Amino acid sequence: MTALLILGILLVLLLTGTPISIALGMTVLTFLVLFASFSMATVDVLSQRLFTGLESFAIMAVPFFILAGVFLTEGGIATRIIRFAQALVGSLPGGLAMATVLACAFFATISGSSPATVVAIGSIMLPAMLKNGYPKRFAVGLISTSGSLGILIPPSIVLIIYAVSTSESAGRMFLAGMVPGAMLAGLLMLITYVTARTKKFPTMPRASVREIWTAFREAFWGLLLVVIVLGGIYGGFFTPTEAAAVSAVYAFVCAVWIYGGLKLRQVPKVLISAANTSAMLLYIITNAILFSFLLTSEQIPQSLAEWVVSRDLSPWMFLLFLNIALLIAGQFMEPTGIILILAPLVLPIALALGIDPVHLGIVMTINLEIGMISPPVGLNLFVASHMARMGMTQVAIAAAPWAVALIVFLLLITYVPQISLWLPNLVYG
Amino acid sequence: MIRGLNRVLDRLEEWLIASFMAVSTLVIFLSILHRESLRFDFLWEYTSRIHFSWAQELCIYLFIWMAKFGAAYGVRTGIHLGVDVLVAHSGPKMQRALIVTALSLGAFFTGVIAVIGTRWVWFIYGTGQVSPDLEWPMWVVYLCVPLGSALMCYRFLQVLTGYLRTGDLPVHEIGVREAA
Repeated sequence: MTALLILGILLVLLLTGTPISIALGMTVLTFLVLFASFSMATVDVLSQRLFTGLESFAIMAVPFFILAGVFLTEGGIATRIIRFAQALVGSLPGGLAMATVLACAFFATISGSSPATVVAIGSIMLPAMLKNGYPKRFAVGLISTSGSLGILIPPSIVLIIYAVSTSESAGRMFLAGMVPGAMLAGLLMLITYVTARTKKFPTMPRASVREIWTAFREAFWGLLLVVIVLGGIYGGFFTPTEAAAVSAVYAFVCAVWIYGGLKLRQVPKVLISAANTSAMLLYIITNAILFSFLLTSEQIPQSLAEWVVSRDLSPWMFLLFLNIALLIAGQFMEPTGIILILAPLVLPIALALGIDPVHLGIVMTINLEIGMISPPVGLNLFVASHMARMGMTQVAIAAAPWAVALIVFLLLITYVPQISLWLPNLVYG
Repeated sequence: MIRGLNRVLDRLEEWLIASFMAVSTLVIFLSILHRESLRFDFLWEYTSRIHFSWAQELCIYLFIWMAKFGAAYGVRTGIHLGVDVLVAHSGPKMQRALIVTALSLGAFFTGVIAVIGTRWVWFIYGTGQVSPDLEWPMWVVYLCVPLGSALMCYRFLQVLTGYLRTGDLPVHEIGVREAA
């Protein structure tokens, strides 16, 4: 009952278009004032949480990765990665399209965000594909979908936020995203290949070994970031947050000195834009912490878990319901907000049903990827529609067949937990 | 007068969040370099005298300050997104009502937080707490909650009056938001 009341308040507030962060905080205030025994002690706990909620070094990986992401997007690194990808797969049927998927996968290994990947790769590959006679609809759908690899392939801001909100290790989550991420990239390339064969998309001249080598050397400094971040974390040199800070500094050096895509005097702009985005996310996190404090103090996750267990719901039924709920939620909200609101709610249920929290995180992430390419508020669609100067509806139609492919992939990942769990269990035991 | 004051406030806000971001990145980066340098004997001699144990704490505080002031900056740039399904699909009158409600809720909530934040800072001031590593007075560190929230409230009111007067809302431009 209380759960419905709280979610009801949240829903009404969200529908007015109030920012998600404010809606979360207001829900807590409204509920405490109107329906709970309101006391100054609660106010004290709340005011303390406003500050201490963020007081964790693990959360600080988010602003660092965002800063690194802005440097990477602005710094001319994407161009080199694209050239390398083209040299590798350009001669296959639909070469440019294949290279787009591969470049997105490469870029995802150094960037933690999906829309950033869409922009970095798409702003170059979309015009290129259109110029070479690819149908606009195909190109736009491909770009928005391959960009969503950004949050599945580590590093990933969404995986970090999941780790923080469920007290899971970010290192483990990153490893869990690797195999599904590589598989999804493979699947997208396979679909592209088949489409290209049937629709007779153009190919590019085969690159010689020497050309591939030159392209690789050009892209090397950008791709080295993968080694630094993942090698650093799993080699035990630094924590995920420190890895994020190192990658921000490294991306800065790459953007300003190695590739020169960014002038030193543009750096303050980059800092402000990264701070703007980070602050927005951290503000949602602060309020989500207040919200989950309310949920826990009303014992909602526990009673929800008990209710589900008492219904004898089998794990696969639960995962199916979760997928449907997330697909719907993903239509309306950004991934971070969804993870922050839902992860603490569903985690106790998953644990009670014997579902691994790491696996749950990957399932949630793939759901959110689908949300990012579904109307009405898919962030990737939004970015792609802006780049292609196409209406949102047109872009959504273009992405629809890809969304179907992602849903099939989601079912595979949902019901074969080993795909996500194999690598982290191998490394961490 | 007010316009001049606003301009100063705008610049100050931008300058603060950019430097918080830069300084915390540098501090963490230096502290990692420092820690790794201790592995080498010839460096150890020099670097073991420096202590960086306060780096994480400073980084966390800087980021929290950045988050509070950056959230206020975000109101001005329109980065705080909500669910706009209903807003997008309602008639002009309803739309206006929803937008005004949303902005007022924002101003109200941040105003309340500013008040209870002040109360909390006052309480901490009384306890004389200091931070574990830097040994800074905690009430100063906690000041970001009431200050940031008050600034945010001011920004919501600013956007609200701007909307009532001109019908325009700050729209976050593409090209920056994708970074999330």
